[in-house]
Amino acid sequence: MWRLLSIVGVVGVAVGGMLLGRRANASSTAGTTDGDVDLGPLPTADDVPPESAELINLERNWGETPLDLRPLFALMETVSGIVGSARVFAIIAYRESRFESAAHNGNAQNEQDERDSSKNAYYNNVDRNPPLKYGTEAAAFGSGGLFGALAPYFLWTGVPERSKQAPLLNARPEILFQPRAAAFGAVVYMQRILANYRVDDIADIKVGWANPSLLGKGRGGATYNDVRARFLADAKTLGIDLADPSIPKKLSAAAWPGVPAVFDQLVGSLSPEVS
Amino acid sequence: MNPSDYGVTGLTDPGLDLRSADETQVWYRRQWRTIGNTLGFGQSLARRYDTASSVSIAGENQVGLSAFASAFRNGDPQPESEVQASVLTAVIARGREGGLWRTVDDVATLPSGACYAAEDGSRRAFFPDTAPGYFGEGWAGPPPRAESTCGWDTPLVLHLGTFPWVYSGGLEGVGPGLRWPLAPARLGLSVVASLLEPETNLRQDARQVAAIFRTFNAHTLAMIQRLPVVAGPGTWSTSSTRLQVGQMFLRDGEVHVHQSSLHVAGFQGPRGRFSALAYNYCMARFAAFFAVRAATIRALPSLPPHLQQLALASPDPVLRHYSTQSLGR
Repeated sequence: MWRLLSIVGVVGVAVGGMLLGRRANASSTAGTTDGDVDLGPLPTADDVPPESAELINLERNWGETPLDLRPLFALMETVSGIVGSARVFAIIAYRESRFESAAHNGNAQNEQDERDSSKNAYYNNVDRNPPLKYGTEAAAFGSGGLFGALAPYFLWTGVPERSKQAPLLNARPEILFQPRAAAFGAVVYMQRILANYRVDDIADIKVGWANPSLLGKGRGGATYNDVRARFLADAKTLGIDLADPSIPKKLSAAAWPGVPAVFDQLVGSLSPEVS
Repeated sequence: MNPSDYGVTGLTDPGLDLRSADETQVWYRRQWRTIGNTLGFGQSLARRYDTASSVSIAGENQVGLSAFASAFRNGDPQPESEVQASVLTAVIARGREGGLWRTVDDVATLPSGACYAAEDGSRRAFFPDTAPGYFGEGWAGPPPRAESTCGWDTPLVLHLGTFPWVYSGGLEGVGPGLRWPLAPARLGLSVVASLLEPETNLRQDARQVAAIFRTFNAHTLAMIQRLPVVAGPGTWSTSSTRLQVGQMFLRDGEVHVHQSSLHVAGFQGPRGRFSALAYNYCMARFAAFFAVRAATIRALPSLPPHLQQLALASPDPVLRHYSTQSLGR
């Protein structure tokens, strides 16, 4: 998913070879660590502002999205100002991790391709981005978390806006297992897709998630169509009706409050050694 | 009375005093919040609590059931809905004699033989759940007294006391009863509610509940005991357990999962996968049943005469014994 940075966040970097993120391996959660950082717990319904709770009904049109993750997705929508995005995040998380926070692609013997992807993501971009304190680890990490993020891109989240002030530059890659951190990365990523690419409808967001170049030269091609079809099938399987009036036909990031505000509300502050 | 009188150990006492109206309301709302948050109507329930000022247990249960109905959306009515609802109505009516928690019925005696007309012929309206599972060792028979048009060759067995986890072998993250249409689902949840009411609770044979609990506990305990125990807030514990994301742990007798969804966490048990959510919910239902039973016995002197008689005439010797004691007879 995190190829967007390679295009809009890091000047002139070629897109990595892997087009579609493989669903994170839910069975490989044991043994993961979160890098000794414990962010706040998953938000609950009480953490969704009352005015948003009216708009983002936690009981309607979520299909089988886990009840205790809905407030997180709703908070992501609220904080980002991307109206209608909560259910889209749910569908993406279903595809990328099957809702497992600690889903990890790259820690198993047969997941060399994922490690290659994160390695390429790191070494192809390291010279053009602020340094990562745990860059080597990120390069070897693969991808994971609720939204299937490639570790280096994830840790560079916010660089286009904040440059060396981006909030995760000193964090270990395992922080992406923490749902609030994963949510931050996903929200920024969606904002950048919406703000920088031609996105005709909601399914196009998932296309951009897989590889933003598919929204340009790849538009209309087999992979573009496959991603769209898979996303729409995922929505149906999960039980989310994207035609519901509460979800605009096209999402907009016009109300984006900026990376610092989003980070503050989703993640809060990190310890000094991380931040 | 203590659950151990029925051979039940390991339940956390949720504490209930029916002699205090305030405490009673707090307790029932806590029960319903747990049910609502587990089954997906917590937000509707919270809205109702903003305005509801119920003064009775029946009223509290009604608020909970209304919140459930308002939040529940399973699309268009399904062809099986009507049959499911009429079967459940019949099953519940029979179960009120003492076996409501788990009902076992000959389908030949149920409306439409528990079959419904589908496009491709006659289909069973419920799953034939008679294999050994987490709630029991299986129910081989008796087979239906009349031939079934939809292939029933076993009784209809439902565990309504743990609705929506109504099948002994199906303890996945979403209880099968939540996939039913609204009418039968509401009937299912109404059983859970009614078992929280003193009268239905007294009518229910606690020995049946205890036997189901013991089976459930026997097949889940080993996995639960392997989890680290983390002290909850408000304790004096100074030890801290370093948890990994996705790791399950126990706190106050409940399974939690660190920084992850409880709805997707689960165990591979001896009788198939069971979700952490279903585990917590079932344990809470068992605990609530015995809490209401004990509180009802304690409050018996102040309860209506017909409830006192119900307790004193119960076929359950434990209930008779403690009721006699409570009433000073």
